[in-house]
Amino acid sequence: MSEAAERFAQFKLVLLGESAVGKSSIVHRFVKNTFDNMRESTIGAAFLTQSVHLAESNTTVKFEIWDTAGQERYKSLAPMYYRNANAALCVYDITSRSSFSKAQDWIKELKKQAPEGIVICLVGNKVDLKDEREVDEQEVAEYVEELNQEQSSAGAPAGKVILAECSAKSGDGVLETFNVIARALPVEDAVGGARNRQLRNKRSSGVDLSRGRQQQQSQAASSCC
Amino acid sequence: MSLYEAPATTTGHLALPTDKTHSRSGSSYSGNYSFINMYDCPSPGSSHAVDPTVESELEELHLTEELNSAKRLGEVAEVDEGDEGDGQGQGQGQGQEADEDSSVKESDTSDSKDGTIVGSDTSGTNAGSQVSATMVGSSSVLSLARNSNISVSTRTSSIPFDPTSSILDISDQAVHDQVLKSNFDRYGFKKPSSEGSNGVSGERYNTWFKDYSRYLERNKKKWQALMKNNGLGEAESRTKPPNRFPPKSDKVKKLIRKGIPAEWRGNAWFFYAGGHEKLNKHTGVYEQIVRDTEGVHNKDTEVIERDLNRTFPDNIYFNKSLETKHLKDSQLNSSAGKEETQSIKSLRRVLVAFAHYQPHIGYCQSLNFLAGLLLLFMREERCFWMLVILTERIIPKVHSANLEGVHIDQGVLMLCIKEYIPQLWGILGKNFEGETLSEDKILTRLPPVTLVTSSWFMSVFVGNLPIETTLRVWDILWYEGSKSIFRISLTICKMCLEDTAFNSRGNVGSGAEIDQIELFQFMQNYPKTIIDPNILIDNCFKKIGGYGFGSLSQDEINKCREFVGKQRARLTSKKQSVMKAEMSDEERRALQSSGFDGEIHDVYGFHRSIMSGVAWNKNISNRMKKKWKK
Ligand SMILES: Nc1nc2c(ncn2[C@@H]2O[C@H](COP(=O)(O)OP(=O)(O)OP(=O)(O)O)[C@@H](O)[C@H]2O)c(=O)[nH]1
Ligand SMILES: [Mg+2]
Repeated sequence: MSEAAERFAQFKLVLLGESAVGKSSIVHRFVKNTFDNMRESTIGAAFLTQSVHLAESNTTVKFEIWDTAGQERYKSLAPMYYRNANAALCVYDITSRSSFSKAQDWIKELKKQAPEGIVICLVGNKVDLKDEREVDEQEVAEYVEELNQEQSSAGAPAGKVILAECSAKSGDGVLETFNVIARALPVEDAVGGARNRQLRNKRSSGVDLSRGRQQQQSQAASSCC
Repeated sequence: MSLYEAPATTTGHLALPTDKTHSRSGSSYSGNYSFINMYDCPSPGSSHAVDPTVESELEELHLTEELNSAKRLGEVAEVDEGDEGDGQGQGQGQGQEADEDSSVKESDTSDSKDGTIVGSDTSGTNAGSQVSATMVGSSSVLSLARNSNISVSTRTSSIPFDPTSSILDISDQAVHDQVLKSNFDRYGFKKPSSEGSNGVSGERYNTWFKDYSRYLERNKKKWQALMKNNGLGEAESRTKPPNRFPPKSDKVKKLIRKGIPAEWRGNAWFFYAGGHEKLNKHTGVYEQIVRDTEGVHNKDTEVIERDLNRTFPDNIYFNKSLETKHLKDSQLNSSAGKEETQSIKSLRRVLVAFAHYQPHIGYCQSLNFLAGLLLLFMREERCFWMLVILTERIIPKVHSANLEGVHIDQGVLMLCIKEYIPQLWGILGKNFEGETLSEDKILTRLPPVTLVTSSWFMSVFVGNLPIETTLRVWDILWYEGSKSIFRISLTICKMCLEDTAFNSRGNVGSGAEIDQIELFQFMQNYPKTIIDPNILIDNCFKKIGGYGFGSLSQDEINKCREFVGKQRARLTSKKQSVMKAEMSDEERRALQSSGFDGEIHDVYGFHRSIMSGVAWNKNISNRMKKKWKK
């Protein structure tokens, strides 16, 4: 790869979804390529980072991963999670209907409250448990289609919900999901790798460029929830 | 009463916390283990949850209460010599319920508008009743099974209320050596296998453990001397954990800070937290709730079920598969790995009962870790009442449905960091744009680092600090109250700041931007490396490096909590009234992200002068300033 062309972009990604759908498991599969049958439930939030390299654009995308706690009452912390987020993974468990409607609620909330350019990905986890499937693939596809149509008819830019399935246990689809998200992020606009780190870390540079326009004006007054 | 008097239904040997080099299947093992069973055995065959001794405990309590009120008249208020002399109610109170935290009113189901956290402490006056040193409760029996072939026995579900747990007595050299060799520590937790984000390596653990066990031995002697001086049967303390302890005093407090002997822990926590009083006031209540809630299905139980197996999956008492994993060649049938341990069953009952008893809390994730740790040290009825004490009196509202208590305490912690560790505040207190947050914004827009620190409050450090360090903090918590959580949190923050790795990341003082996520990761992982509890405790109380947080008083915390709570409530109601108006999503978003908050701040600007009642401890601030000038 040519040095001059290599680029670097950093994005904040937040995981949302009902408790025990496997958010932490997906993150650990992605970051450490491991899986534990019994993982401790997440209290508050957990922070991890991992990068993916996109060969076609010679860009390294570093994800700041905010793994959240799934229980309903943690919702009061949610605005802090998705403030300034560039991407959100709304996770459900394909063996649990209720977790799917929870994921739908999250998408609704994100569309209302989150930064406008946010990339939303709806992920069905635990596909290794095919026999116990409760959430029909077809149904999910239709839901997303409908959602995306509404979006475009409302004249809103981008903002299409990405659809994915994976298994943190087997590893199927996990890396692919993050790759798809990385491609959907506006890396083209992000700061090039030659720029110094300090600049990149300033939210006003690298990440500003990667987000929609409108929500920017807010930043001076509001840092977090 | 020995283990072997357990009912005939006794089956299932709980895994020995050792690796597979130790066969646990009975006869082949002939090590010199001593196991301490901290729990009494309920009468065999009885379906009763309640300890048969409770009634006698109750009688004793009445007796001793009279005795003590007589005694109290002659008592002299104690001075808190271990601290920096703030003189504001630091554990001088001897009364169980009269300690500082009782000034925090029990929370109720109504919302927090008026800030139910009130008042200052009673500055050491013994207003409350006292569970005395003369109380005799036979609810704990220690069983020694020396030279036994069978390590620990667990009871089957026919006696559901007494999860047996044991803590290895490492004063026995052979046991000590076994712990060193084992993959599991003395509490049944798997030792970490490699250095990394999950703490420390097994090797580093062992190096520390060798030293620390000598410390524990010396410390135990001090405890025994203290007990003896207080006329608390030496004989008793040799053979079983005492059920009563000396009344609160400076001497006791000092020793508590040095650590309670592990095998006495459950009883000491229960005693100093006021557990006996609570239990005696509610005889039979737990048993009744358990009966009432059996088989209940609701939102809470659903979440509880999902959390049971995610509570201490690395502990043999909670994870049956660990047992079978290192027992491949045992005779146990193959289904063993799928069975629930007694501790999991107890955990379910306690959490379900708690959700029922405290409907304004219900079940909150993190309670599983609190109950889980308690269950390693006490039977489930006591565990239940300890949870009640914690959530009613020590950290009220932290687990409530809207987690408002967490937000309030984070606000308080952030204000403390700003005041006492300004260098750290310079880093943490920035928003994403590099602007340093002012007081007003701290309260309403908590800095994102509070996502890390809130779990310190919700789980009271379980899973955040290494187990032994957590236990030492808990020793202090049950004795001294919620200020301990703040003191320890500040100490951790201070230690983070002083760590060279943090410095290189944080560019302290250089004014450079820091990658927030790296900062959070550091703050999240650093506490897991504090394997030696004494380092944390000494940093907190002994002013290592010129300052500590031992003088941060409960009074200061309470006033600060009250302040933050009120301000947040005002802002919330203001916000709601503005948002109620019909508006489109677009408008709402625009309002929220533009001048909306600024406007609110203009109206309700939290200027320093408004922080009435919050008096910072200049002693700490000045020390800090001195230190960082250098
Ligand atoms: N079969 C299967 N089980 C999974 C998979 N992913 C996660 N699990 C299991 O599901 C349970 C919950 O996983 P977690 O990763 O802890 O769930 P979470 O979404 O982080 O839950 P909270 O932290 O409570 O919000 C664990 O017991 C996992 O082992 C998967 O892909 N397949
Ligand atoms: Mg999780």
